[in-house]
Amino acid sequence: MSGSYIVIGAVLTAGLCAAGYLFSPRGQNQVVYRTTIIMTLICLYLMWAITYLAQLHPLIAPRRSDLKAHSVPHSKDGL
Amino acid sequence: MSLVQLFIPLEGAPAAVSELGELGLLEFRDLNPDVNAFQRSFVSEIRRLDEMERKLRFLSAQIEKADISVRPLPQTAYLARSRSAQEVHELEMALNMHESRVLEMNSSYESLLRRSLELTEQRHVLERTAAFFEQAETRQADIRRSFEESDTPLLQAQLNLEAGGDVHRVHLGFVTGVIARSRLPTFERVMWRALRGNLYMNHVEIEEPIVDPATEEQVPKSVFIIFAHGREILAMIRKISEALGGTLYPVDSNPEMRRDSLMNVAGRLSDVNSVLQNTSHTRRAELLQVAEQLTTWLTVVKKEKAVYHTMNMFNYDGNQKCLIAEGWCPTNAIGAIHGALRAATENINSMTPTVLSKLTTSKTPPTYHRTNKFTAAFQDIVDAYGMARYGEVNPGLFTIISFPFLFALMFGDLGHGAIMTAFAVWMCVRERSLAKYANDEMFGMIYSGRYIILLMGFFSMYAGMLYNDIFSRSMHFWHSGWDWGEIKEGEEAQATQVGVYPFGIDPAWHGADNALLFSNSYKMKMSILIGVVQMSFGIMLTIFNHVHFKRRANIWAEFVPQMLFMQCIFGYLSVCIVYKWSVDWYAVDENGNNLYSSPPSLLNTLIFMFLQPGQVKPEDQLFAGQAVIQVTLLLIALVCVPWMLLAKPLLLKAEHERKLNNGYDTVATSAPRASEDTGNGDSSEVPVATDDHEHDEEHHEFNFADIMVDQVIHTIEFCLNCISNTASYLRLWALSLAHAQLSTVLWDMTLEPCFHMTGAMRTFAIFAGFAFWLCASVAILIAMEGMSAFLHTLRLHWVEFNSKFYIGGGRKFMPFTFAEVLEGSEAE
Repeated sequence: MSGSYIVIGAVLTAGLCAAGYLFSPRGQNQVVYRTTIIMTLICLYLMWAITYLAQLHPLIAPRRSDLKAHSVPHSKDGL
Repeated sequence: MSLVQLFIPLEGAPAAVSELGELGLLEFRDLNPDVNAFQRSFVSEIRRLDEMERKLRFLSAQIEKADISVRPLPQTAYLARSRSAQEVHELEMALNMHESRVLEMNSSYESLLRRSLELTEQRHVLERTAAFFEQAETRQADIRRSFEESDTPLLQAQLNLEAGGDVHRVHLGFVTGVIARSRLPTFERVMWRALRGNLYMNHVEIEEPIVDPATEEQVPKSVFIIFAHGREILAMIRKISEALGGTLYPVDSNPEMRRDSLMNVAGRLSDVNSVLQNTSHTRRAELLQVAEQLTTWLTVVKKEKAVYHTMNMFNYDGNQKCLIAEGWCPTNAIGAIHGALRAATENINSMTPTVLSKLTTSKTPPTYHRTNKFTAAFQDIVDAYGMARYGEVNPGLFTIISFPFLFALMFGDLGHGAIMTAFAVWMCVRERSLAKYANDEMFGMIYSGRYIILLMGFFSMYAGMLYNDIFSRSMHFWHSGWDWGEIKEGEEAQATQVGVYPFGIDPAWHGADNALLFSNSYKMKMSILIGVVQMSFGIMLTIFNHVHFKRRANIWAEFVPQMLFMQCIFGYLSVCIVYKWSVDWYAVDENGNNLYSSPPSLLNTLIFMFLQPGQVKPEDQLFAGQAVIQVTLLLIALVCVPWMLLAKPLLLKAEHERKLNNGYDTVATSAPRASEDTGNGDSSEVPVATDDHEHDEEHHEFNFADIMVDQVIHTIEFCLNCISNTASYLRLWALSLAHAQLSTVLWDMTLEPCFHMTGAMRTFAIFAGFAFWLCASVAILIAMEGMSAFLHTLRLHWVEFNSKFYIGGGRKFMPFTFAEVLEGSEAE
């Protein structure tokens, strides 16, 4: 439905990575900063994207038989 | 890293080396490896310093005994060092003086103490026996009275008869003394047996504690007095009591004399005690004086010792009056080393400066990873696997993020992650004050890994948000992508999709009957994807190694076929996973017909890709042209195997033959180094560097069979590992499933039932249930599960990731530094 979010996310991550690469603090730890920033962003993006993709076109739908009429998790307060 | 050679004038050597020790940037090579420890140049100096160290240890033991706290001066004391040989000599003299004075005072103190003890005991004996004698006086009357009565036993009567009027004065002798209270019953029994009951014994406890000077322990003692008659028997009593550890003190039977000697003893006792106190005071003053300086002295001595140990590794040139040292140092530290050497020369006003020259060498330098407190723990994880070869890609850099990330995939839970983060933050904030507990084995390990734990906590929180798990409960921030429609009580409801939950797993799945079905598929596929990404990244890192070690040919001979093999099989699988996710399999065209066939199983796709290449059943088809693509990929993968197997050995062989044809042969390993021409004209005297084992490996003879065998093993290993390692990443799914299920069970078993209770019990039950649930959460889910996830992450990094590119056959750079010397000795 909205698979474009994956692409938008990728572009966003790439942009942030570039920013992290360019604006990481200078000094002898610059390599560490760059690597950690870029790797963190990629890891976070990967995990989100995989989670999002997995639900984009689900093959199965959640089923449950213990629902009562008023306990439907429609609202934001449902636990 | 550069190899440098130092020419140090002999008189300035200790100063120069100690300056370098303060700097801690130079690792000295042992230039006399086959000289044993006792034949080296500076053995006598080291022995002298050892002796000084022993004296210092003796003094510090004395100080500890005297309960004087050594002033802790870590900052300034660590800076202390000797400036000259004169200073060391003076220190030695001072130590000698202090030691002999303390020893002397100790011995006189001890003898005085013994004297005082004896006098104390004697005083007690005199005091207590006075009471006995008074008793005996009255007893005398009793005895007489009993004698006058007619039913006294015959023997006793006779005895008393013989004794006549003044029984106790003439025949009844007595022995007085002091014995340890614990021995008293034995003593009494032995006496009774030995004398067959022919004695009268009395004893009384001394309340005042008496300290045994030998063992410095308090021994409760008793005064005893034994009356018996007959000289032999008295001698026997004396012998027995001495044998049993009693001390005998003669006491006069005359009360006047007793009083006199008591006065006498008391007077002497007070004299002795005052002398004792004086001695103790002087000794304490002496020790206090020593305590002021002790840390500084100890530091100086330890540093001096380290300096001479280091100098033992140098070449000693007797004629030149100079020492030749070689060592590794970071190339950018050469300036600092120059500075240190200049400072040392100036300090001792020497005319001859130390000469530093850089050597060119074919030896492999040690590896030096500059770390800070944040990266050190991650580097330790990598170093535990193997020290990087000099110039090799250091996986420690990537481990900083990939380690906590993989951990989080297994540990993902917002609540548990938050607790873990809080704990790590506490450790990082209280870093300084907690450092003193770091020596504890258990806590020290956690403390040294606090930054790892911190990052693991952060990533776990993120993963928990995506897994939509907080203590196994779900969170509901956005509109669910599923609509349950009209709910009919008691009937199974199925939700219909109305959107996609934007961040994390839809809360609608939480508690659904088929939640596991979904989450298993999702987590399994995620494990494969992440695994393939990480392994491909690892294979890519080999490029840097090949370039750095000047084996560009290996990029074509190793990297390309490896990468192709990996991507043709598992890269393709990953693409299929993503493709399958991104296609709406139930989409219909305008006529209501399905656009796609039913979604095919990816596992079967992969299996049939090998079993029936070129054939894809229409109902199993993932995309058009699948059969052709699969066959192509399979063929590429198959070609890669002989490519990996043969390319590298053949390339090496060709290179070797080209060398031979050009007339070169293997150069002898003991070729002199190019750097020996130091221009001093003494190059003939400088022995050729004694490098042997490290060198041999680099120059061994070309043996095609060996290379071929190596390559066969390597190829088989790689191909099999691609498969097994990908499967190994499934542990990410397994552990994450276990963690989620365990925390669900814990919730359902402990806290959940408490909410369903009614009445007054409910409050109490929730209170108790919560306590139990929280404790179990922390102990089992965070501590134990965290531990197991940590170990699995460790394995994934050591085996699955590092094996792709990391050889780790290096040697750690261990510079000569006083910090290490001092710390090491403290840890002992």
